[in-house]
Amino acid sequence: MSSTVGTVLVLGGLLAAAFGAVVGIEGGLRHRAGALKVVLATVTAFLVCMVGANLTMVYALVTHDFSVHYVSQVGSRATPLVYTVVSLWSALEGSILFWGAILAVYVFAFARAHRNDPPTNPLLALGTMLAVGVFFSFLIAGPANPFGRVTPVPPDGPGPNPLLQNHVLMVVHPPMLYLGYVGMVVPFGIAVAALLRGQLGDAWMSVLRRWTLIPWTFLSVGIVLGSWWAYAVLGWGGYWAWDPVENASFLPWLTSTAFLHSAMVQERRHTLKLWTVSLSLGSFLLTILGTFMTRSGVFNSVHSFTQSEIGPTFLVFLGAVLVVSIVLIAVRGPLLVPEGALGGVASRESAILLNNLLFAALTFTVLLGTVFPLVREAFSGVRISVGAPYFNRMAVPLGVAILFLMGVGPSLPWGTASKDAVRRQFLVPAAVGVAVVLASVLAGLRGGLTLLTFGLAGFAATVTLREMVLPVRVRMREQGEALPLAVWRTATRARRRFGGYVVHLAVVLVFVAIAASQSYVVHTTATLTTGQSFRLGPYAVQLAGLRNGVDPHRRWTAAEVDVTDGQGRHHLLAPRMNFYERSTDPIGSPAIRSAAFEDFYLTLLAFDAATPSASFNAWIFPMVSWIWWSLPLFVLGALFAAWPERRRARAGAAEPLSVPTKARSPGAAA
Amino acid sequence: MTTLVLTLVLSSYAPQQAGSALLDPPREARVQALGKQLRCPMCQGLSIADSSSSAARAQMDKVRELVAAGKSDQEIRDYFTSRYGEWALLEPPASGMNILVWILPLLLLVGGGLAIARTMRRPVPPAPPAAPEARPASEDPYLEAVRAELRR
Amino acid sequence: MTRRGLWIGLALAALTAVLLFVLASGFGRDPHEVPFQLRGKPAPDFTLKRLDNGAPVKLADLKGKPVVLNFWASWCGPCKVEHPVIAWGARKFGQEAQFYGVVFEDTEENARAFAGAPDPSFPQLIDDRSRMAVDYGVTGVPETYFIDAAGILRDKVAAPVDPQTLAAKIASLKRPGPVSEVVR
Repeated sequence: MSSTVGTVLVLGGLLAAAFGAVVGIEGGLRHRAGALKVVLATVTAFLVCMVGANLTMVYALVTHDFSVHYVSQVGSRATPLVYTVVSLWSALEGSILFWGAILAVYVFAFARAHRNDPPTNPLLALGTMLAVGVFFSFLIAGPANPFGRVTPVPPDGPGPNPLLQNHVLMVVHPPMLYLGYVGMVVPFGIAVAALLRGQLGDAWMSVLRRWTLIPWTFLSVGIVLGSWWAYAVLGWGGYWAWDPVENASFLPWLTSTAFLHSAMVQERRHTLKLWTVSLSLGSFLLTILGTFMTRSGVFNSVHSFTQSEIGPTFLVFLGAVLVVSIVLIAVRGPLLVPEGALGGVASRESAILLNNLLFAALTFTVLLGTVFPLVREAFSGVRISVGAPYFNRMAVPLGVAILFLMGVGPSLPWGTASKDAVRRQFLVPAAVGVAVVLASVLAGLRGGLTLLTFGLAGFAATVTLREMVLPVRVRMREQGEALPLAVWRTATRARRRFGGYVVHLAVVLVFVAIAASQSYVVHTTATLTTGQSFRLGPYAVQLAGLRNGVDPHRRWTAAEVDVTDGQGRHHLLAPRMNFYERSTDPIGSPAIRSAAFEDFYLTLLAFDAATPSASFNAWIFPMVSWIWWSLPLFVLGALFAAWPERRRARAGAAEPLSVPTKARSPGAAA
Repeated sequence: MTTLVLTLVLSSYAPQQAGSALLDPPREARVQALGKQLRCPMCQGLSIADSSSSAARAQMDKVRELVAAGKSDQEIRDYFTSRYGEWALLEPPASGMNILVWILPLLLLVGGGLAIARTMRRPVPPAPPAAPEARPASEDPYLEAVRAELRR
Repeated sequence: MTRRGLWIGLALAALTAVLLFVLASGFGRDPHEVPFQLRGKPAPDFTLKRLDNGAPVKLADLKGKPVVLNFWASWCGPCKVEHPVIAWGARKFGQEAQFYGVVFEDTEENARAFAGAPDPSFPQLIDDRSRMAVDYGVTGVPETYFIDAAGILRDKVAAPVDPQTLAAKIASLKRPGPVSEVVR
């Protein structure tokens, strides 16, 4: 029953998307106003079909309907309800189905928001997005069909991969990533529409910007949550392994971040249009490449789904989208003539142009490193590895340069500036940066690159805070507003600016946390019998005993330890080894004690129940938790920046920025 | 389900030997540094220093043994590449075709930088006169000041 | 389309073609497979103690007759499934090849307690600190190595081996192999 319903819905979605794509593109190219209503109807139909198919699958999972192919693969009567629902995205076919639903939701949201706009742009954009929807519906209906019927119906299933039942993050991390990944379809559609029309005006630019900011936010959250998962659950003390699938999520994040900055130059100076649109197209292309990398079985990764047949189909689609993008850029790109120009070298737009280059270089490097083993194997048959040491060596200098620009950019004005004004801008922040370096050296910290990072972080943070505080002071001084009101008004009057600077602060925090946790980590290994203890830094670890336990899908042994920190407080930690029947090696669960400025991280390496004794790996990671704590700042900043401006009835009302300046496009609603 | 439980109960679990005793700090630092360069054969891209798998631990023990025997870093790396090939090194040695992975990003940066410098040197069209936009007379000067700041 | 647009387009198209070719070439290959460099090289020498009577076994002494080495551990579920297959092989092909099991990353007590007792059809050797396993390039368990009569390491199976594969590999050991190279 569920099989039939699901299959019908998926086919319905395919038809709706196909029809809508054709009508949309054709109607947009021929400026048919009436076509928009038709396309809106197909978008709604697509949404109903895709969401319906997903709900049908969830129903089949929850009711343990093992006649459905996907349920027989990942379902199990023993799995707790939460993880049963979540198993929708735990294996390949289900995750593509989930992709389709999120795609439909995004397209529908965009259609709703722009249903009353002049029809040509929405028609082209929606047509493009629905064309992508056609591909995914085709995948779901064909090569990656989760709804196939299984006969004879098995009584039970194997359940999802036990590693994916380990943690609550399995419920949150994949949906966040999907919302980020799939959302890149919308700016892609908008950018293609702009290229097809050969123009990119202010209003449409602001639409493009907002619809990139939304998936960007989700992608940022997804990536940080993924690092947290790696750190808290996988037990090797790291949070980023430059794994191919991690890189796959990072690449579109890089290009869309560059886009968000390039879009500012586009709006204020009406130049760098081709850069901006290319970055938009690139973000979506990298999303498809990333989806291919995760699902094709070609890459060796912790995230890889099992080998499947959808790889070749995906590759064809990737090729098609690449060709379309390249043709559009080559043919229509030159039509995006810059109406303005860059200011001098010491201008904000030049800094952003340089920023674009750095981000492009970082994107290229990460992509090259990820794909290079395949290149070598394809051309010479030799298998090599390109791992964390390479990526760290290449990415760290680029990251430091970007951090530097984060301080320089906001200090420079738009357009050409006088040398004296520029020099004055840099004085205080540079002094703060130097002071931070000196203070660090005096505190005993070493490491050239790390100290440079700290100094630049101080520099950038000062610049950012100054830019945020200045308008507040102006308001307080000129209007006599109280501090809270001044802050609120500043934040809400210039949302994008304020939000952007909040995000910059979050990024500075992350840079500092990464630098500190990588450079100043201390580590030791020790074997203890009951009652013995070892020391690491200010911490003393004493083994209390071993304890066993059984869960439905695993056995575990925990070593209970008493950890005394530098202040003499006692903490009870219990790092574990979990034994799953599917894997030959046990999988450890670390025990972490988080203090304000450092984490004490303990893993169980080995144990002997007879003695009893246990072997541990212990680390102190300074500042690492600040990476996760930056997340609320990220979200806060992004929310501010993305929040729609209230439409003002009259220009020149109390809203100063609704006065038509080059800085803001009026009526930037939705 | 019962067979599953029975299997789990009856099979013994890995007491996973602890690693060999650590060397003195300078040599142990060498062991850890080498460990970070060598790829764990059972994991997805982790180094043998980071991985907790049994094969990784055995290989770390071997590295420790070789360091204690006085072998040089290159000899230890050669030991592993003679068994697993270049694949065992997490950072591709800069020889032969591998040079590309090191050179291409550099070329992109330099090339891009040059292209941008050329763009900058093109004559800038005269900036439109920075005349103040028409303002309704009712605007107060404070808004003007905020706007001036915010326009920067 | 401008001239510059054409050049940019062609350059991007060329890069695209290379990328697609490289990605497509990955199909059908197993990305988890670990390279086996010792193929055709002399098998590294070892001296290990037998689990049952503690007698030393040296590889050099075994020369003249092919050797099959099976790495296993008591904590490895698939090894348990594979063990009877190796035992069967030891009984059936005992005239043509010498079968030895090597315990990997495990203690003697656990090895002895392995599902009752290891099958006496083939002797088990204990590998202290898995030194010999690393020497052979073992990446996990179970793994089975095939050494020919001249002491050259000919082949390896990095998965639980089934009877047909075992028979085929032993048959191939009888065929002449590459000339042995200088040991490093």
